[in-house]
Amino acid sequence: MPDDLTTWLHILYGFTHDIAIAVYIGGAVAMEFILGPAQASIPPAQAQVMGQKTADRFLWLVWGALGTILVTGVLRLERLEMLTWSWPFFETPLVLSDSYGRTMLAMFLLWCVLVVNGALITFVFRPRLAGKLNTKITAAQVAAAQGAKLQAANWVQRLTRIDLGVALVIALMGASLKWGGLI
Amino acid sequence: MDTLLGALHAAAWATYVGGAITMEWILRYVQRTMPPSQVGIVCKNAGMRYRWLALGALTVIGVTGGAMLLRIDDAVLASRPGSPELSLSDPYGRTLLLLTALWCLLAATVALMAFWLHPAQRKRSRPEMSDAEIAAERARVGQAITRMDHALKFELVVSVIAVGVGASLHRGGLA
Repeated sequence: MPDDLTTWLHILYGFTHDIAIAVYIGGAVAMEFILGPAQASIPPAQAQVMGQKTADRFLWLVWGALGTILVTGVLRLERLEMLTWSWPFFETPLVLSDSYGRTMLAMFLLWCVLVVNGALITFVFRPRLAGKLNTKITAAQVAAAQGAKLQAANWVQRLTRIDLGVALVIALMGASLKWGGLI
Repeated sequence: MDTLLGALHAAAWATYVGGAITMEWILRYVQRTMPPSQVGIVCKNAGMRYRWLALGALTVIGVTGGAMLLRIDDAVLASRPGSPELSLSDPYGRTLLLLTALWCLLAATVALMAFWLHPAQRKRSRPEMSDAEIAAERARVGQAITRMDHALKFELVVSVIAVGVGASLHRGGLA
């Protein structure tokens, strides 16, 4: 067993970071290939309720995982003495002249893509899906509202699939860091 | 090649552990809000897909892990923090052995769920069954569901421990 606090902190940050990545990737895979098809096996009205509840719960996991990945990632870099809290902040090999630094920058930018997509799903498309129809509206308005909901559902599905692809690319880049980076 | 193996290994672990956490955190929560008849249909469908996903992920973990082990270069290994060695006299070697044992435990648990516990949940009813036989069949299915529940929780705990053990390898091992 390691007997110093520094090593234990390294292990703790690494463990938390890995679990957060697992929750993000594994959660997206499970939503796409397990819970989605399972939802299709029950009547549509119940499937809609199930979809709403699973998506609400999954979004908590997504935001928790994205936040944890960033915090533990920064703490790991600081522990590895690649990141400091004084100018110029980044130490070799975390610089753009090094493959390690370029790969890390690409990973951070892709993480930003996941955050933007997550924000779009949470604050734009999910509220559109959850909106209830007023009883006093016309048939044309009902049709328009249903069309907007269908479009929002399609966007959520598209963005979720893009997120899964992006997360897998990040995992590939993360794995390459052990050998000095990919780019 | 090393990067590809490492990425596949990491993605398979992520799919497996994240899938197990999602099933526990999301599916179990949703089940509580659904009518019992639909819970059965959703669980049957999700359980069948999950067992193949878990078995596939564990196979990829085993194959890529074995290939990575065969490709380990002693000189590269010695340059890592803690100068680890691939030997049972070193924490790195012992941690790898522990990780292999945990993988075997997980593979056995998932196989048990896929080929015994999940099929045992299927209700076998025939028109000529007496009340006592129907009650016994219900009790048997109830017992199978309870066993499946315990197996899922055990699998989740062991898989999270395995991630922790794996994370320690970056600092020379734990055991």
